[in-house]
Amino acid sequence: MPVSAGYVSREAVTNLWRNRLMTVAAILTVAVSLALVGSSLLLKQGASKATAQWQNGVNAIVWVKPAAGATLTTSIGSELHNSPYIKSCVYRTQAYDYNEAKTILPGDELNSTSLADYPPSYRCILNDPSQAPAVYQQYVGKPGVATVKYPGQQIKTMQSVIHILQWVFLSVAVVLLLSASVLILNTIRMAIFARRREVSVMKLVGATNWFIRLPFMAEGLIQGLLGAAVAVLVVLSLYWGIGLDATKTAANQGNIIVQMSLGGWEVAGTCILVGVVGVVVGVVGSAFAVRRFLDV
Amino acid sequence: MIKFQNVTKTYKRSTVALSNCSVEIDKGEFVFLVGPSGSGKTTFIRLLLREELPDSGRIWEAGKEIGHLAKWRIPYLRRNIGCVFQDFSLLPNKTVFENVAFALEVIGRPKHVIATQVPQVLDLVGLAKKRDSLPHELSGGEQQRVAVARAFVNRPLILMADEPTGNLDPTTSLGIMKLLDRINRTGTTVIIATHDAGMVDQMRRRVIELDRGVLVRDQAHGVYGIDGATAAAGAGSPTGSLAEQAPVGAPANDRPGSFATRT
Repeated sequence: MPVSAGYVSREAVTNLWRNRLMTVAAILTVAVSLALVGSSLLLKQGASKATAQWQNGVNAIVWVKPAAGATLTTSIGSELHNSPYIKSCVYRTQAYDYNEAKTILPGDELNSTSLADYPPSYRCILNDPSQAPAVYQQYVGKPGVATVKYPGQQIKTMQSVIHILQWVFLSVAVVLLLSASVLILNTIRMAIFARRREVSVMKLVGATNWFIRLPFMAEGLIQGLLGAAVAVLVVLSLYWGIGLDATKTAANQGNIIVQMSLGGWEVAGTCILVGVVGVVVGVVGSAFAVRRFLDV
Repeated sequence: MIKFQNVTKTYKRSTVALSNCSVEIDKGEFVFLVGPSGSGKTTFIRLLLREELPDSGRIWEAGKEIGHLAKWRIPYLRRNIGCVFQDFSLLPNKTVFENVAFALEVIGRPKHVIATQVPQVLDLVGLAKKRDSLPHELSGGEQQRVAVARAFVNRPLILMADEPTGNLDPTTSLGIMKLLDRINRTGTTVIIATHDAGMVDQMRRRVIELDRGVLVRDQAHGVYGIDGATAAAGAGSPTGSLAEQAPVGAPANDRPGSFATRT
């Protein structure tokens, strides 16, 4: 027997309005939990992207003592060029780094530094980024070399921080999703309870179970969808707000956020996933609520 | 139309509601189901509605054994059974018309069918003028008429009433009984579970008496209590009989009636 969509939506909206306080609570819980799911997903994608960028970028920097002199500096340079670990190497003068600092640092901070604070350096890209420690061992004590830096340690720390954050986000989100389902279940149950006379008359005169069930399931679906919509807004504002948007922040190179920036497709995928989870939570919650009432 | 074969139903707390009950009711019959509280009358009705399943024994309705009915077909079974209760069970926020129309709406009847059938049945129960009243604006008798109208609007094969006059005074009860009698004459099988001795005695129809789940009496043209003052049961047509005696099992029904074909 066909159940008209008009009937289902009319009944569902009436029920939602009758029970609006509980509805708002359910929608907000869905929204908060899904926002957490969404942002932890963004974080994960951002982190893996940033790692990839680091690994493709500069892997080791050999800082040269400014007093080393031209011959020593060039000999370090040619040694680096011939090293089996190193793919390519670029020499940066003091002036280059100082000029770069001028574009990044705010004025008062720049005043406290001078050209002498920026030693010349070789920016090297390794054949295999994991061999950075070997490069460090080889060059750190050489004459003319001030120090060798590689970002492996920083990446590892950051990755583990992001990893922990992600698990915290996800576990909080799972607990909240459960409570959202229970809240939806409870709102639907209250809606059914408020209409128990109608439901019993419906059963008596032979309405099919789907006819009785659908308006309540539509109610749960609407709650899940509205919650997901709010969560999508939160995820999007996070994306644009703190500048994970790749197209906007291309100018600020060197910023961690930039290296974590994501493209539109990744964000769209996250939003779609959030929406799907919202729908599932709503439908599952209401299906459980309805099941017991129709068991005659 | 209805056949019970050795039906036994026991509830969890080991009270026997029906014990080895066998009975047959033909199409178009008018049957009173009598007996003290707890004798199994309501269980009888619940079994017919397939709200309960018997522990043992078999039940047929219109040639179908309902113990073997798939769950999804139960609603379709109930569309062939109208049911009236002591408490009327009307929806308080709907008008008389809406209450009756609701029974058709929820089984997916189109609007034009509702627009013609509801006024017809309201006319039959004598409430055509009160179609826009709310239940609380009506007397008890009028509310029960609405309930009868709702039970009958889909033209069921069987109309069942569980204590339909339990909340009503004798005069009003008489009106309801007359109404059920009229419905019976359209060919509908009518089964009434009641305590109302006066009604049963006046109507002189088939009486099935249950006592603690056991069928103790099945009598054509019977009275409420076999030991009562009106014990000369079945001996012709007594004066003061309210309804004309229709022959038991009168085939006044020309509708094709099969649960399988009606949806």
